[in-house]
Amino acid sequence: MDNPEQNQTSKKGPDSTLFHLAIPTLLFSCLVWWLFYQPLPWSFQIAWVPSLNIGFSVFVDGLSAQFLLMISGIGCLVFLYGTGYLAGHKKANHVFLLLLLFMLAMIGAVVSDNLIVLFVFWELTSVLSFLLVGFNHEEENNRKSAQQAMLITGSGGLCLLLGCILLGQIAGTYSIQLLIARAPLFINDPRLFWALGFVFIGAFTKSAQFPFHFWLPNAMAAPTPVSAYLHSATMVKLGIYLLARLDPAFSDLFFWEVSLITVGIFTAVIAAIQTIYERDLKRILAWSTIATLGTLVMLVGMPGEGAALATAALFFAHALYKAPLFFVAGNLDHGAGTRQIDCLTGMRRYMPWTATAAFFAAISMAGLPLTFGFVAKDIINLAKSQANLLQLVSYAAFFVNVVSVAVAAIAAIHIFWGQDTIPRKAQPHEANLRMLFPPLVLAATGLLFGLRPALIDPLLGLAAQSMAPGLDPNKVDLSYDAIPVIEATFGTLALGLFTYLRWDWLHNKFNRLQAIQKRGPESWYNAVLETLPLVAVRSTRVFQNGMLPRYLLTLIATVAALLATLLAASGLNWQWPEMESLPFPVLGASMVIAAGALATFRVSDHLILLLVGGMVGYGSALLFLFTGAPDLALTQFVVETIFVVVVAAVLVKLRSFRNETAKVPPEKRFRPLHFLVAASFGSVFVILCLLVSALPFDPALTDFYGARSLLDANGRNVVNIILVDFRALDTLGEISVLGFGLLAAYPLLKQIREKRR
Amino acid sequence: MTSRAHMAEIFMRGLYPLLLIASVVILFRGHNAPGGGFIGGLMAVAASASYALVFNATNALNRLPCAPVRLAGIGILLALLSGVPAISQGLPYLTHPWWTINLFQVELAASTVMLFDLGVYLAVWGTIGGSCLLLIHSIEGEA
Repeated sequence: MDNPEQNQTSKKGPDSTLFHLAIPTLLFSCLVWWLFYQPLPWSFQIAWVPSLNIGFSVFVDGLSAQFLLMISGIGCLVFLYGTGYLAGHKKANHVFLLLLLFMLAMIGAVVSDNLIVLFVFWELTSVLSFLLVGFNHEEENNRKSAQQAMLITGSGGLCLLLGCILLGQIAGTYSIQLLIARAPLFINDPRLFWALGFVFIGAFTKSAQFPFHFWLPNAMAAPTPVSAYLHSATMVKLGIYLLARLDPAFSDLFFWEVSLITVGIFTAVIAAIQTIYERDLKRILAWSTIATLGTLVMLVGMPGEGAALATAALFFAHALYKAPLFFVAGNLDHGAGTRQIDCLTGMRRYMPWTATAAFFAAISMAGLPLTFGFVAKDIINLAKSQANLLQLVSYAAFFVNVVSVAVAAIAAIHIFWGQDTIPRKAQPHEANLRMLFPPLVLAATGLLFGLRPALIDPLLGLAAQSMAPGLDPNKVDLSYDAIPVIEATFGTLALGLFTYLRWDWLHNKFNRLQAIQKRGPESWYNAVLETLPLVAVRSTRVFQNGMLPRYLLTLIATVAALLATLLAASGLNWQWPEMESLPFPVLGASMVIAAGALATFRVSDHLILLLVGGMVGYGSALLFLFTGAPDLALTQFVVETIFVVVVAAVLVKLRSFRNETAKVPPEKRFRPLHFLVAASFGSVFVILCLLVSALPFDPALTDFYGARSLLDANGRNVVNIILVDFRALDTLGEISVLGFGLLAAYPLLKQIREKRR
Repeated sequence: MTSRAHMAEIFMRGLYPLLLIASVVILFRGHNAPGGGFIGGLMAVAASASYALVFNATNALNRLPCAPVRLAGIGILLALLSGVPAISQGLPYLTHPWWTINLFQVELAASTVMLFDLGVYLAVWGTIGGSCLLLIHSIEGEA
């Protein structure tokens, strides 16, 4: 990654650039064209899994359209940037393929109206994020980060699935739009607490909220285009997207409001503190991204139409200033070979265009006038003043803003201005055009919308309307009166600049907080990860001890306990069957079974034990024969024969194989535990038989097959007709399973033989 | 080799084909009388297992029509394909149509159900017989 030479070679440069850019650009232009002509919201539906009530229903309203634009628009620039950043890298195509798949998964997630379908795309983005973070998988650090991102967002995804299913059951629908419409009907359902709780966990893990936030800075191990795209502009906003989607349904809930505002602002503050603690530009940006995500969660939780508009504006503003800053970090990495802010000053001499992009992005981030960041800040302030926030929350938000101004100053001033006094091996150089164009375009777009907010009014209005249906998108007006806002934000700016000037001093102060960080959520995660294998080892030692009699004992005891619980729960209304005089053959067969069972007590030789055990089987076969089930009897005879023959063959061969060891007399003593398990298993089955015989026999099936088998299938043997005709597909499945069993056993048995040689 | 073992071998040599013929009879009469592919297949497995008990598993494996995995595969394939002709007649998959075939002046009823049953027979013989023989085979010394 850190090899600037790779950047210079462009063996297959232009061609592959066009090739990689084709699909994203096409998507983006089609989308823009389509949005101009298509009145929103727009929807269509395809049945997918009708039996589970899951339809592939697409619903595009303002919020989806906004996300679609960000996904495809920033996606194009990320692809362009990637062709420069990864030029000559041997696995570049791999990254582009994953990025493209990610883009499609994101698009799927934001247009889906069905919670389950949304979940599927959501998990796809998690998997692709894992693959992209672990892209450089030869590094242990990258592997760990990828695993962390996967485990956290993955387990959060499972919680989300649980929450979605619960929500679906409460609302009676998986369609988000129907759910919003029906919300007043079930808003007081007590189960809603759990459903929303699980949805929160899913959204918070995805959007890096406390206490799941720590995976995001670690995910910065990914290549820079990936970080800019997934971990700042799109994927991490998916959690907030879901919350914003559900906002119209639940915004009146006290639980909703309190949880989101608390978690959001707490995350923002924690992240702002952590920002000061970092020295790596990319990680600084990552922490400040988390702070913004926290602010977004808070805005979603805040009631009112102003908050909805503020959320939409901040989505946009953040994408427009944070992505270029990530690109700038990537350019520095490429051009100067480091991202440590201690080693970077006065870069403007070597990288003037990167400096320009950084400057314009940073003033938007700081919220200076004439930028879109300023517009967003204005709307947010307005929303905060409308909502009755606790004073504490306002102070916290103020603090977060101060730090974000300081971060902007670091990115724009500290790195690019001043004297370059640090000795280095190679002269830093400017990035190539493909890596300059994307940050410049994004920063310029931020300026454009800052100067002419009216251009973006309709889109943000529609997006806000998706979150607050009462809002009239035509009345949205982002134009502002600059003077009062400057007055309002003056304090932030001044304190932010102060923070910037004392950054190193603060950094040293916060170093003392390291002890606290060591006990933070990340250490909990590590503790869990370290404990898991230990638990696995212990449980394996207990359960997989390699002693077959022990396995059998556990198995039988478990079955007996489960059956006993079921029987007890079902209420024991069993009765003795009526004792008719049994016909002589049946009585005889039963005697054979009993004799075989009793004889097993007295025999110690394995081979004879086998033959005696066979008596039980043959006795059962006789019983079947005399009670009118000749097919069953025949099968039982043959199965019993095969069993005895095969086991006898095995025993005989084993005996000849190890003559000496077989002479050891088998243990014969009374074992109370085994006796108890055997006795309870037997009793449970006796009770079960009594229960079954107490039920009246339902002849419907027998009658049906008896009547239809000759007519429909030309056969008189009902058992066989069921097997090969009425339920032929089941039989086909069964023999396939048998086949797979053989395929699994074959190599194992082969191995045993080879080991013996 | 003792004479008793020798007698068992001579006996088994005759019994093996008889058992197989019986298994095929059971397979084909299964439509109207007790029997069918599953029981027939198990009978064939019993024949193979007894053969392995008296001689050894290597010999028993050699007496199979082909390697067990292939035998099972042919069986499953046959059962799979037996459902296809129904589709060409517009019936659902695995419906078994019946035809009457006039063979040398004898009316014979035939159906794809027989193919299906034969498939089950071969699959059972291949998988269960195969695993039993391979199990014995795995613990046998050099044969």
